Amino acid sequence: MLNAIKPSKKTIFFYLLIPVALFVFTVFVPLVTALVYSFFEWKGGPQKTFTGLANYITLFKDGTFWQSFGHNIYLVIACLIGQVGIAFVLVMMVNSKLVKFKTMHRTFGFFPSTIAAVCIGLIWNMIYHNKYGLINWFLTAIGRKDLCQVWLSNSDLVMLLVSIPLIWQFIGYYMVIILSAVSSIDTEIFESASIDGANGVQTALHITLPLIKNTMLVCMTLCIAGNMKAFDNIYVMTKGGPGTSSMVMAMYGYNVSFGQSNMGYGSCISVAIFVLSLLVIGGSQALVKYITREKEA
Amino acid sequence: MKKKQIFSTVIATAVAATTLASSAMAATPVADNDLAYTGELTIMHYSTSEESEGNGGSDGLRTTLAAWIEAHPEITVNENVLANAEYKTQIATLASAGDLPDVFMLQGMNTKAWAEQGLIVDLTDAIKASPYYADYEQAYFTPFLSGDSIYGYPVLTGGTCTVVVYDKAMWAEAGFDAFPSTWEDVEKASEYFNEQGITTIAFGNGGKWQANSCFLSTLGNRYTGPEWFQSLINKEGAAFTDEAFVKALEETKRLFTETSIFNEDFNAVTNEDAREYYIAGDAAAFIGGNWDESYIWATLKESDEEKWNNMGFAVLPQPADATEAPTSQNIGLGYAVAINSKVAEDPDKLAAAIDLAQELTGPAFASYVAENYALGGLTKVADVDLSKFDQVTQDFYNWSYVDTEKCEIYDSYINGAVWEVLNTDLQTMMNGEMEAADVAANAQAAYEANY
Repeated sequence: MLNAIKPSKKTIFFYLLIPVALFVFTVFVPLVTALVYSFFEWKGGPQKTFTGLANYITLFKDGTFWQSFGHNIYLVIACLIGQVGIAFVLVMMVNSKLVKFKTMHRTFGFFPSTIAAVCIGLIWNMIYHNKYGLINWFLTAIGRKDLCQVWLSNSDLVMLLVSIPLIWQFIGYYMVIILSAVSSIDTEIFESASIDGANGVQTALHITLPLIKNTMLVCMTLCIAGNMKAFDNIYVMTKGGPGTSSMVMAMYGYNVSFGQSNMGYGSCISVAIFVLSLLVIGGSQALVKYITREKEA
Repeated sequence: MKKKQIFSTVIATAVAATTLASSAMAATPVADNDLAYTGELTIMHYSTSEESEGNGGSDGLRTTLAAWIEAHPEITVNENVLANAEYKTQIATLASAGDLPDVFMLQGMNTKAWAEQGLIVDLTDAIKASPYYADYEQAYFTPFLSGDSIYGYPVLTGGTCTVVVYDKAMWAEAGFDAFPSTWEDVEKASEYFNEQGITTIAFGNGGKWQANSCFLSTLGNRYTGPEWFQSLINKEGAAFTDEAFVKALEETKRLFTETSIFNEDFNAVTNEDAREYYIAGDAAAFIGGNWDESYIWATLKESDEEKWNNMGFAVLPQPADATEAPTSQNIGLGYAVAINSKVAEDPDKLAAAIDLAQELTGPAFASYVAENYALGGLTKVADVDLSKFDQVTQDFYNWSYVDTEKCEIYDSYINGAVWEVLNTDLQTMMNGEMEAADVAANAQAAYEANY
């Protein structure tokens, strides 16, 4: 009877083939195509000239690209601390017995993740606005008008300023992931720790964190991958400016491909983003594993 | 989005109130030429219905296109209409894929590259054989030339990219009967306005292109004269590093970093934000393009009749050490109707596409925008009757087409790779973090590498 309704292996294979084919055509094919195009000089028309590694040689000497890469690394570090770190702290707080209205905290914490990045950018543009913005209004209200400035024109601060909305937007996202991991920990472990006199910080660092290590690694990977391809918030807020002070790799690739109609070099940048992202993700995972292995030893 | 909808409503009301009751009709109908082609014709443009509610060029194009479709029921026209920013990205992608629509809007700076790649039809003979040829404003063809060949019919309306919109009453209070003709006088005026807590001139360069299109393109001409840019276009020896152009950059840097003429957030806000400073009375003047002028006109007409009546127009003031064309302003047509070279494989289809391009830029379009908006396009209209328009519209018409000297819009020429580099560096320079000579050197390097 069971065999009668069980689909054949062939049927299962064809059903599974659909998502695999979709993945291949939407991810794998464009990636391979970009790799092929990266070896051509292709400036906005059907004619392409094979130039071998010329685009990659240009890339290695391209100061704006490496500056953009540096900005992506800055974002990764800021968001690892800001998004994953703060999310972990908030989860610990929300899970505390002292906190009331836990569901409300979770809902409001997650809320910014549901807003489109373009809207987030516009909201924070208004916060940073020098005439009508919240920050300058507050500084004026407390009598520190001397500190008021055009925030997004400050090249030294602009990367920090564009990181803050990114952090704010995704804290809730990581909160949900970490919350689900923490909720799977046996409550008896926390009770035992409490009886042994462990305070909140000790419980978080020595019990919770080691037990959700793998989830934290997933969060880190998602955070790094997300920030290596950051684009929309920053595009809305500064378009990479002033000058290239907040330029990130994806935006630079977009500008080269569509602003300069240089599809060959744009493809080369896309390949570089992919390779560098893999290296950063792989490197960070190896680093975390190395640090944890040291501690275990 | 909501803001844009409100704006559209305001514009629609204003336009309806200020044009004649029968103004939706063009005096000259679309020519109903016999065409042998029967089948589909694809057209891609950026005159969205939203955009057309207030923008004379967009409205004129949509109206003329609808009339042409009605006159040729045997041809199925498939329209793909996108907002301008999306249009630019999509048309670049389609060009790269060699899959352009049959008829589309060609941006001046893409002409040479796309012509070299064989993407677009050489329309020289068709244009010269056009029944409207004698009425064409020949200067508008320049951005669409590659060698001696013409690759498009310049489309929409010729509008300035650099106009100073100022409040006559505010400047009169500052002691100026008209907007100053020199930057020295503007600096003097800024002392008065700063005391009042008012920005002298609002400007927005948050998108990076504004400083080039709406400032440097005209200011540069004041130092270099038109021959320099023509030489740059024709690769006849001029360079961005030439002393006159570097001087223009230095003056731009001085004005934005060493004087208090402009709003301090000019590099963080867009032209859309900056013009609101003017509308709100926070700024005594604003520098932008004709699209900003039409927005300010419509908004003030609806919200502040007195301020609307006080709208005045001026060219960029002349720098003290500039020697060329003190009344120049950059005006032109940035796009042309072009035809995909694949269309030429079917002569009947090509004839239909040429007929469409000819009509979209011909007397039907020109008379419509002249009579309804006091605007001009490729085809000249004799004896435009300005008397039915309000004084502000008449003033702007005369300022745009009669009283000022024309100069070129830089980014209608050369190519995007060069302007991308220059625009980015300009923003850095205007932030006080780069020297004019370095900006010029980088632009020259990009020019040599990409053009």
